[in-house]
Amino acid sequence: MTAIDPDDHTVDELTERLQTIDDEDELQAILEAERAGRDRQTAREAVHRRLEGIGAADDDSDGVEEGTETEGEYEETKEDVGDEAEADAEEAEAVDDEDEAAETVDEAEADEDEAKEADDEPAEDDDLSHPTRDKKHIRGLADGDYADLWVFCETQGGELLEVSKEMLGKGRELMDQFEADYGDEERVVAFLMGDDCQGLAEECIAYGADIAVYHEDERLERFLHKPYTEISAHMARGEGTVESTDWRDYDKPRYVLFPATNNGRDLSAKVQAELDSGLASDCSDLFIEANEISNPVKTGEPGVKKTVEKVLHMKRPDFSGFEYSTILCLDNPDRDFHPQGCSVIPGSFDPIERDPDREGLVVEHDMDLEDDWFRVEITEYDRLEAGIDLTGHDVIVCLGRGIADDPTGGMELGLDLVDAFDDAELGITRGIVTSSYQFEGHVEQYSKEERQIGETGQVVAPDVYIAAGVSGAVQHKVGMDESDTIVAINTDTDARIRDFSDYFVEGDLFEVLPRLTEAVEAGETALEPEAVADGGDD
Amino acid sequence: MRSIVLTKGVPDFSEGAVSFDEDGHLERGKTPTVMNPNDELALEAALQTKVRHGGHVTGMSMGPPGYADVLKGAMETVYTDDSYLLSDRELAASDTWATAITLSAGLETYQENVADVDIVFAGFKTADGETGQTGPQTCWAMDWPIVTHVVALDIDPEERTLRAKRLVEGDVDEIETVEAPLPCFVITDPEFEPTYRKASHRLTHKALRAETEERAAEHEEYLTTWDHEDLKLDPDYIGLDGSPTIVSSVDPIPKAPSEREATMIDPDGGMSEVLEEMQPYAAEAGD
Repeated sequence: MTAIDPDDHTVDELTERLQTIDDEDELQAILEAERAGRDRQTAREAVHRRLEGIGAADDDSDGVEEGTETEGEYEETKEDVGDEAEADAEEAEAVDDEDEAAETVDEAEADEDEAKEADDEPAEDDDLSHPTRDKKHIRGLADGDYADLWVFCETQGGELLEVSKEMLGKGRELMDQFEADYGDEERVVAFLMGDDCQGLAEECIAYGADIAVYHEDERLERFLHKPYTEISAHMARGEGTVESTDWRDYDKPRYVLFPATNNGRDLSAKVQAELDSGLASDCSDLFIEANEISNPVKTGEPGVKKTVEKVLHMKRPDFSGFEYSTILCLDNPDRDFHPQGCSVIPGSFDPIERDPDREGLVVEHDMDLEDDWFRVEITEYDRLEAGIDLTGHDVIVCLGRGIADDPTGGMELGLDLVDAFDDAELGITRGIVTSSYQFEGHVEQYSKEERQIGETGQVVAPDVYIAAGVSGAVQHKVGMDESDTIVAINTDTDARIRDFSDYFVEGDLFEVLPRLTEAVEAGETALEPEAVADGGDD
Repeated sequence: MRSIVLTKGVPDFSEGAVSFDEDGHLERGKTPTVMNPNDELALEAALQTKVRHGGHVTGMSMGPPGYADVLKGAMETVYTDDSYLLSDRELAASDTWATAITLSAGLETYQENVADVDIVFAGFKTADGETGQTGPQTCWAMDWPIVTHVVALDIDPEERTLRAKRLVEGDVDEIETVEAPLPCFVITDPEFEPTYRKASHRLTHKALRAETEERAAEHEEYLTTWDHEDLKLDPDYIGLDGSPTIVSSVDPIPKAPSEREATMIDPDGGMSEVLEEMQPYAAEAGD
């Protein structure tokens, strides 16, 4: 029995009571009691801190472990938090169980200054009066009005980028569904800037936008971080002349999409920061639906579940392609985070058919640009030599990690087979691009990203696709699934690629490829025997 | 020239090192932490600057105490002069917004207490979060000029400018030459390559290596750790509380639905069908 039953106390009370206990066993007993009872993350942490405070070896760190990380990247703070913590905003770690915590909480037994003083005031300060460094960045809007889905339409050489059209198509689909689900007609708003872009604004309407807001200035011919950020934020907040803003009556957009290109991703990061909101990067799937949250930071009340309507669910591959995360950008109780935004991987969505007769409103945005915003100057630019185009060939030979035993030899065998066809090219999987395989000089050029097939590489649809030593990750499938005939060569009959192949040749590529090359060259319909032959021209 | 390099520890995703549980989730406890590969390029850019123009390079990271080892690694391999770690529990579970606020506070605190900074270097993406947002957002909080996706860099200390080549992705990829005033943020692209064209540079490089080995052996002497109070940050606006975004779910990459029925082929006898599919595309003999 412990002197204190933690279930009888709020975390604050418990924290205070713990300060009077110097006995390690006693503290461990309280920890056990908490686990058996309400099992509040914040309460457990309070006990751990006290254990640290008395210098006890706290070997069970409650899933808080050294080396886990979070810095600036998404943490796997799973939403279905089961914490019954008392409102202690400074403690709330949204984790649902210890295993998850191991993957979430990044600060290990951190600083030596144990027994952290709580804030003087349990923070509920909307007036942002603290003289702390962060306040200058907080725009601090709460209970604002939000509507519409905005799309930043990136341009190049006087044309809309393909991904801009793709985002408009997806935006159109999302907002048509939004209207069906909620009965509210909200719009797709394209926004763009450049030296001559009124025509492109009209083009955005043809590709699905209801409104297109554009800003023209010769200094904006090419992307520049500062002016593009300032103009985008100004547009989004509805600042500007009455004529250019009377089509809207809300504080900020509800949603916003940017292209996940070098410039689009940069812009998304800066604009969303400027608008005091968050975003997910490099998304490949989006949908809008209600979400039940229990994360106390977002609900404001630990142990309470709350349903948030109209949440943009942003799905993205991360952890070097090993996982898909769904990211949500949700308001805090006293601070709104809108627009909910993300950047979108080019090629993820289809544009809608261009319709030059679609009706929409084109609005010229009005704003003075400060000279100081143009401190970074582009002095010259060139088009890069186009990389390797893997599309449009009869045959693609794709190599995967199956070449690991002899990367250079495997690459040579793949190239030999490519040469046996009239019109073929060599592709590789992401696994090879990101591997640390050592290729000898003469084949190293084939190991570069420009030959990658898959979601983040090229999408091909040849008549014959030969996948040698390819395991068949779903991202790879996206890049080759439209091929007419898919032939896999693999020793592992459980490899995923079997589920999307027409033929699965059970064998080692190092042994099969040279024989296959020979047979194709000779016009044979059987492989020459390797060790044991059984003819087989059937 | 004084520069700060922002760096981060990440799980080692290389084959053989990375560990996943049976549900396909990353097991962080069993996966070693290494320096984010893209940050090594940022460090290389800082080193190139130091070799050519002299000066001082500081490594800065936000994360748990264990990241001190990552900063030590930066000292060993890229010869940083000292290390700053922004670390305490309040910073846990920060998304990019909260991280950017914290890092910018670290940079400002450094400028107030240590020295003015000419360039802040950062890598493009981390191997775990892979957002590519933290560098630009940190720069936003500082309101400095920024050049991203840098593949080559030259600095003119007298003119207080830098000239960089940067990659632009579009329907056609382009390369831009950009000039920017110092102080400036420089985000290196994965394609960045340092160049040491002069013999004197190469000699300097070698001398630095010898000098650094001694320093790295006593890394803790060169490590400063700041918590949120040192940085004058309100806990409500950093860490999880200050993060707009949360991860609502994490799924292992789903298995592709089975859409084709693969005919199983024994290469030693059953290849006729496969070869018939391929023969129409064979090169003419002698091609």
